[in-house]
Amino acid sequence: MANLPTPPMPLPQTSPVKILTRDWHLPECWTLENYLKGGGYQALPKALKMAPQAIVDEVVKGNLRGRGGAGFPTGMKWNFVRKETSFPKYLVVNADEGEPGTFKDRAILEWAPHMFVEGLIIGCFAIDCHVTYVYCRGEFRDGPVARLQTAIDEAYAKGWLGKNILGSGFDLEMHVVRGAGAYICGEETALLESLEGKKGYPRLKPPFPANAGGGLFKQPTAVNNVETLANMPAIIEKGGDWFSSVGCPKNGGTRLFAVSGHSKKTGVFEAPMGTTFTALLNDYCGGMRDGSTLKAIIPGGSSSAIMTAEEAEWMSDFDTLKTKKTMAGSGAVVFLDQSVNMAHALANVTRFYATESCGQCTPCREGTAWLSRLLDKLCRGEGEKKDVDNIHQIARQMEQKTICALADGAAMPVKSYIEKFRGDFDALVKG
Amino acid sequence: MIPLTRPAGPVPSPFNADQQARFDAGFAKAIAKYPADKKRAALLAVLHLAQEQLGWLPEAAMAYVGFLLDVPAVRVREVATFYTMYRLKPVGCHHLEICNSVSCWSKGSEALLKHAKEKLGVHAGEVTPDGKFSFGEVACLAGCGYAPSMVVNNYAYAEDMTPEKFDALIEKLKNEPGQNIADFPKNHDTGRAHG
Ligand SMILES: Cc1cc2nc3c(=O)[nH]c(=O)nc-3n(C[C@H](O)[C@H](O)[C@H](O)COP(=O)(O)O)c2cc1C
Ligand code: FES
Repeated sequence: MANLPTPPMPLPQTSPVKILTRDWHLPECWTLENYLKGGGYQALPKALKMAPQAIVDEVVKGNLRGRGGAGFPTGMKWNFVRKETSFPKYLVVNADEGEPGTFKDRAILEWAPHMFVEGLIIGCFAIDCHVTYVYCRGEFRDGPVARLQTAIDEAYAKGWLGKNILGSGFDLEMHVVRGAGAYICGEETALLESLEGKKGYPRLKPPFPANAGGGLFKQPTAVNNVETLANMPAIIEKGGDWFSSVGCPKNGGTRLFAVSGHSKKTGVFEAPMGTTFTALLNDYCGGMRDGSTLKAIIPGGSSSAIMTAEEAEWMSDFDTLKTKKTMAGSGAVVFLDQSVNMAHALANVTRFYATESCGQCTPCREGTAWLSRLLDKLCRGEGEKKDVDNIHQIARQMEQKTICALADGAAMPVKSYIEKFRGDFDALVKG
Repeated sequence: MIPLTRPAGPVPSPFNADQQARFDAGFAKAIAKYPADKKRAALLAVLHLAQEQLGWLPEAAMAYVGFLLDVPAVRVREVATFYTMYRLKPVGCHHLEICNSVSCWSKGSEALLKHAKEKLGVHAGEVTPDGKFSFGEVACLAGCGYAPSMVVNNYAYAEDMTPEKFDALIEKLKNEPGQNIADFPKNHDTGRAHG
């Protein structure tokens, strides 16, 4: 697997472009005052003078792809909602951030809440939505949610939310609601169930959320990630063509990479879409921590297939990683060093899915639990060689058989860890 | 037994006067977020509110919430047991939850869990004899870059943890009141508990 040709696209090694992190160098970068100083709330009046369809057209031109995990083209999603004739329509924001490794939406809510609020207002205007909900993970109450609520209150006071925004005739109410600890509620249809006051069981599709019958309270609904929407002010101000030029083909803009693990620096880094993992590690994170060498990379949250150190030259955009049989996912990059046994790492990752499976579909409920038991057995030194083959086989059986993608997200790491790091597994086999 | 139907008459409140005042204020705000005919949607928020008053969710609180929102008790129970932040039995005044997902794991969360067990002298899910502390293992908290990370009483993040920082945190919390669980009679007959 290791020596697949690297893609031809040359990329700048460090990003001079700062979109989402524009103000982050300032102390108290989250205040309205600082956001205004950096040019905040200039896109909103401009957007409100545009035709809603023209806004969506810019988003299409900008090649904005959803930052929640699937990389779905945002403009296309909004066009689906626009085509529906049933009202009201909703825009629901996914701020549930639960994928292991991911902590970038929290950073936006804490450090750039106004950029997100402005982007959300523009998004609502574009799809003719008058009530929007931001669904935040429960633990965010005192930090990110508090900052967000302050920003919303300030926006109401300034007339950027509420009735007849800036004299445009457009009305919008923005509400923050909280989950209560369930990874599955990050899946968009489980999120909608939760928002309706139910347990988070994903819904069978179709109908899709964007269509009548499939969304919040059965109304057409766009579900979008926090980071996706925070890009809107820049797209309106500078245009879709500019936004598209920042990234790589079909992947516009920058991405907030949430880096964790064994690199020297960890945290949230903004880099153009497509930046290679080598560049991310060396130019942004200062390389690996002292005395350690890179062994493996989780490229897009724990559900993504693992990469070896040799594969670090791969570009990180949605399309490249898809062709490499992994995914850009949530933009959560975990650099792991030689101290890690990949079978132990996989046992940890799989335990997460076994705990968080909602239990609705049998292949997922039973499969994740079984995988977790077998991997724990292996890690205790009680496993046999056939257990390793069994684990791989079970994972293959789980794919594409369930209502939502949690099972696929559990199977992808299992298969890839074994295929790429078989030695670590065999080393644990007894006898 | 969990009644499958809506209660016939009013259900008594489990709150004292102060708690009731705080609960009522929050309740009005929570249901105002939804269309008038969709107040059930506020169930998660109202359960959070009830738990914030009592420190956990006794049967009486679930019954009361169901009555207010016109949701059958079995549906309230379904939600309360689905989500891990709701506590179905009392926890310590300070409940510490340590993330053990992959990023935190790669930075020593297992050692931190072991340290917590030794320091507090109880297993995960148990309460110290003085009622002050309990701890548990949780899934990713979105603090992965500042690993290992943990939360105190659901909401207060403590990050870049080490055993030394953990000990310092315990010393600090010893003198803080923590969750308001003393006000409610402990009723252990509350069904399935989260570990
Ligand atoms: C199991 C599972 C968990 C998910 N968790 C999240 C999450 O925490 N945050 C998020 O934005 N998207 C999450 N997603 C993706 C959402 O379903 C959805 O694709 C996304 O919110 C759409 O927004 P976007 O188009 O702006 O990316 C998850 C998907 C699955 C299958
Ligand atoms: S892995 Fe521990 S907070 Fe994300």
